[in-house]
Amino acid sequence: MGDSQYSFSLTTFSPSGKLVQIEHALTAVGSGQTSLGIKAANGVVIATEKKLPSILVDEASVQKIQVLTPNIGVVYSGMGPDSRVLVRKSRKQAEQYHRLYKESIPVTQLVRETAAVMQEFTQSGSGRPMLGWLQTILDFNGNCGVRPFGVSLLVAGFDDNGPQLYQVDPSGSYFSWKASAMGKNVSNAKTFLEKRYTDDMELDDAVHTAILTLKEGYMHLKLLFF
Amino acid sequence: MSRGSGGGYDRHITIFSPEGRLFQVEYAFKAVKASGITSIGVRGKDSVCVVTQKKVPDKLLDQTSVTHLFPITKFLGLLATGMTADARTLVQQARNEAAEFRFRYGYEMPVDVLARWIADKSQVYTQHAYMRPLGVVAMILGIDDENGPRLFKCDPAGHFFGHKATSAGLKEQEAINFLEKKMKNDPAFSYDETVQTAISALQSVLQEDFKPNEIEVGVVRTDSPAFRVLSTEEIDEHLTAISERD
Repeated sequence: MGDSQYSFSLTTFSPSGKLVQIEHALTAVGSGQTSLGIKAANGVVIATEKKLPSILVDEASVQKIQVLTPNIGVVYSGMGPDSRVLVRKSRKQAEQYHRLYKESIPVTQLVRETAAVMQEFTQSGSGRPMLGWLQTILDFNGNCGVRPFGVSLLVAGFDDNGPQLYQVDPSGSYFSWKASAMGKNVSNAKTFLEKRYTDDMELDDAVHTAILTLKEGYMHLKLLFF
Repeated sequence: MSRGSGGGYDRHITIFSPEGRLFQVEYAFKAVKASGITSIGVRGKDSVCVVTQKKVPDKLLDQTSVTHLFPITKFLGLLATGMTADARTLVQQARNEAAEFRFRYGYEMPVDVLARWIADKSQVYTQHAYMRPLGVVAMILGIDDENGPRLFKCDPAGHFFGHKATSAGLKEQEAINFLEKKMKNDPAFSYDETVQTAISALQSVLQEDFKPNEIEVGVVRTDSPAFRVLSTEEIDEHLTAISERD
């Protein structure tokens, strides 16, 4: 945040106390392709729709589910380019942790640090209003006006505390879930998951359920239009 | 005082609109179309070919200085569709990055790594308000050591995909429809078929027959992986082959 007295973040409070840029970011997430995660008794599964804009796209060049460490993976809903930034930062943080402690990073720590990055982008920056135009300037530290990330992440990992599933939102808040969905059709997906989820599910069951849930969303859309 | 969408700034800088859209990015896509040029790229079994229109607006202009095809390294080519000034910046930075990569790691920058780097840079412009997105869609072509011929397309939003065939610019959608039909059964085009598919796609979509100096063609081939711009004679040969075939 800048030195100037009138330095503002681009994400500022509305009179009703809301951060509208974050709400808009969540809208962007809500119109992204569906993704979901399920925590089983002996593992975690994350899955997503991979609908490509054309058959001409080389399907092998697209990978929406990414590895952060050998035992932590992530999937997103929302803006792909934004997710790449977070994946890169998270991988680096995991590596730095390992360098310092000679241990692989626990899931909760990585989630917390990733969430902190996302929160930063909702608060930092120097947008300066001037004569009705929003003038954005670089402050001494090279920080400038930034917008929140347009992605929600589902982080799946397995460490000493067993299987874990976390969802991180553009605001930087994160929660642990037994099962969760994001993106389009999220309410149908969550209803379906609520019905099907059991605490003692095995990983194979969870994978099966994940695929069924995605199919359900897809079929539901088809029924709506035909 | 509510800034951002409440203040109507969501159209001026890259912050979210109430529907979760980034208007500046969408306008950047429009700027690409506004250049009035269409480009096509096709990947064959052992080669990649990109074609674009060469519109010289003034007879007094030196034709050789009007180009959208840029070698980035000896083995990587970039076809820029959209605003020429933005394209030149991008090319300059890409050349620098590819050279540094070669120096730092001791081997040539692969196609997908360059495409990812360009896309990541474009993403930064969509998130930091101090710079606007570039009004350029970049097609990058090269032969990958492990995966063979590769064609990538990067856009102002920061997306990048590998393609079997693709298009950019004014008649992008029409060209993609044409190419989808051609590539439906996963054909493995030879070098000549690749070049001729690309050129005939452009001719079909723009509904005009070209003279050799009205288009630019760039290729890479597995048996000659250096990026090369075809001469007018070679273009003429392909144009003749296409008209004889039809």
